[in-house]
Amino acid sequence: MFKLKVADAKLLRDMATAISILVDEATFQITPEALKLRAMDPSRVAMVDFEWPKTVFEEYICTEPTKMCINIGELLKLLKRAGKDEVVELALDEKTGRLQLKITGKYARNFTMPTLEASEEEVPTPKITFNVRAKATTAGLRQAIEDAELVSDHVRIEADNEKLVFQATGDLMGATIEIKKGSDALLDLEAKEPSKATFSLSYLSEIIKAASATSDIATLEFSTDMPIKLDFQQAKEGKLVFYLAPRIETA
Amino acid sequence: MTADISCGESQIFVKASRSGLCVACKGSRFLCGKTRCPIIVRANYFLKSIPLMQSEDIAGASPPSVFVGRIGYPYVYAGPLVPPVMADTSLYDLPEYWFGKSIDEIVGFRSMLIRGKHRVHVQKFWEAGKIVDKTRELALAVNPVDVELLLKKKPRGFIVLDDEVQPFGPSAPIRDLLVGNARWDHQIEKAYYDTDLKAAEAVLELYQKGVLLTKIQRAFSVGAFGLERNRRLVPTRWSITAVDSTVSKALMEKVKAFPEICEFRVYESRYLDNIFEVLMLPGKWSYEAIEAWYPGTVWNPSGRSAVMFSDWEGFGGRTTYAEIGGCYYAARLAVCENLVKEQRQAAVIVLREAHPGYIMPVGVWQVRENVRNAMRQKPYTFKTLEEALQFIASRFQIPIQRWIMRSELLKNALFQKKITDFLEKVR
Repeated sequence: MFKLKVADAKLLRDMATAISILVDEATFQITPEALKLRAMDPSRVAMVDFEWPKTVFEEYICTEPTKMCINIGELLKLLKRAGKDEVVELALDEKTGRLQLKITGKYARNFTMPTLEASEEEVPTPKITFNVRAKATTAGLRQAIEDAELVSDHVRIEADNEKLVFQATGDLMGATIEIKKGSDALLDLEAKEPSKATFSLSYLSEIIKAASATSDIATLEFSTDMPIKLDFQQAKEGKLVFYLAPRIETA
Repeated sequence: MTADISCGESQIFVKASRSGLCVACKGSRFLCGKTRCPIIVRANYFLKSIPLMQSEDIAGASPPSVFVGRIGYPYVYAGPLVPPVMADTSLYDLPEYWFGKSIDEIVGFRSMLIRGKHRVHVQKFWEAGKIVDKTRELALAVNPVDVELLLKKKPRGFIVLDDEVQPFGPSAPIRDLLVGNARWDHQIEKAYYDTDLKAAEAVLELYQKGVLLTKIQRAFSVGAFGLERNRRLVPTRWSITAVDSTVSKALMEKVKAFPEICEFRVYESRYLDNIFEVLMLPGKWSYEAIEAWYPGTVWNPSGRSAVMFSDWEGFGGRTTYAEIGGCYYAARLAVCENLVKEQRQAAVIVLREAHPGYIMPVGVWQVRENVRNAMRQKPYTFKTLEEALQFIASRFQIPIQRWIMRSELLKNALFQKKITDFLEKVR
């Protein structure tokens, strides 16, 4: 049996939006302790690692571990109908294989949606030694990414112990965004060695845009020409981490 | 005759923009600020030898064919195209059967098509009276129809050239139009009388039943499909791309569900001095079209180096009109047809080199049929992307590096790493 209750619909909606950036059909791992999801996008360039312990929920009941796959876009459509402070309840009907969604505000609404065949793929997280660790506000990151997007479709992120630099070079225009240590946008910066790596802006901006709704502070970790890890700090021990593979121009 | 041509050439001084403005415009948008495209005008002089129509009354068998202009939208010129020929002219307006014919041959029969013009509001057909009704009747016919086209004056102008639309001959306003008995294509007729069927659905249904694209497009342009209150005339140029785009969009949705191909493939085709190399990569559906215009080709007459243009879309599709125009959609249709037939998914890059032998635009059908022909060939298959690129490099004159720098999908395939690359390192 699986059932959960969230006091604020917005919380669930923002989380579903962040996941929907990468996956259409999301397979959740449901354990008595937490709700988890780890998945890659269809082209396998990015990964999302998400975990909400039972403490996040108003109510969380799971009697035995199970998997549930749903179309996240369809779920979002339903969640969009819920107002800010409305209560959302999800329950899996194991007999029919359907997910029940109940939104309670001024009046109660019951929706049902089908669950899909769960993917059997076990996705490990990449084990990388990161040389740079930067803690920044999501608002600051969003600004930097939006600036870079004006001139190019990819951005080089560089860091040493002094500053974090976003460097974008387009066909005609270029941009350099520098965030120095001690700036309001940069809370912490540690670099074992100066590092730089290039990433696709379309992925980066969608991830940061969606995840900044759930979090104010993000920790960036990267090394030269390795994937970047974006850890968006969640309330109540929740976890929302994205990995994005780099672009390496050999030519 | 020769004197005539050379005199014409010396009078017309053509200087095209070096910056590639002409490739972007292709005679349709007048980006250079002139009221007539000098390149089109020059191309016309090559065709001056074609005798002009001396009569105001044209009687002949229309293939059937109609043309709806776009100038002045929503008040456009619509009307039939009629050759002064009493024979089976059906080939004159069926580009599906033109592949392999020379420019001279195509221009030869297309230039005989006299265009009758009638000013009409695209939605208010009833104001236009019977001429528009007759034109529509003609457009839905299955075989050539005898038509008497009575014009207000002698047809003026030469052949009309356009990058999207097949060329056609001189034109004049219509005085009266007499159309013989026409038998309609029964499938199109069904869609015509179904006033609850949306236009896009009608197009797809007819395509699935095997109706030729040209016939669907012709009916589409005379406003034969759609909800009754939404029906309107669609300029021929726009209707060609609308049909290509609608059909390929539906095919793309099917392609996205198929298993991915497991090798790198190159298909090729060459026609009218246009070389197509279609590269398919294993992976999720995505599509890109790149064209390179050599110095001396229609849209790059005086440049020093080849001008390249491209546009692309990812798995999620696109919402804006492709920068390179109708040929983007025509080629997309041709590759999707093949992938659906094979039940496979791939990332597709259509590379096109237009060489100087391509002296005048003949319409976007050239791209569609050329790519369709490429798809009919057995592909060259490769184990790695590098090998496939090497092969393409041997076929093209433009260095492969220039293609790569131009291509978003190739840059992605070559430079974008995957998360899985970093998982395997650990194991």
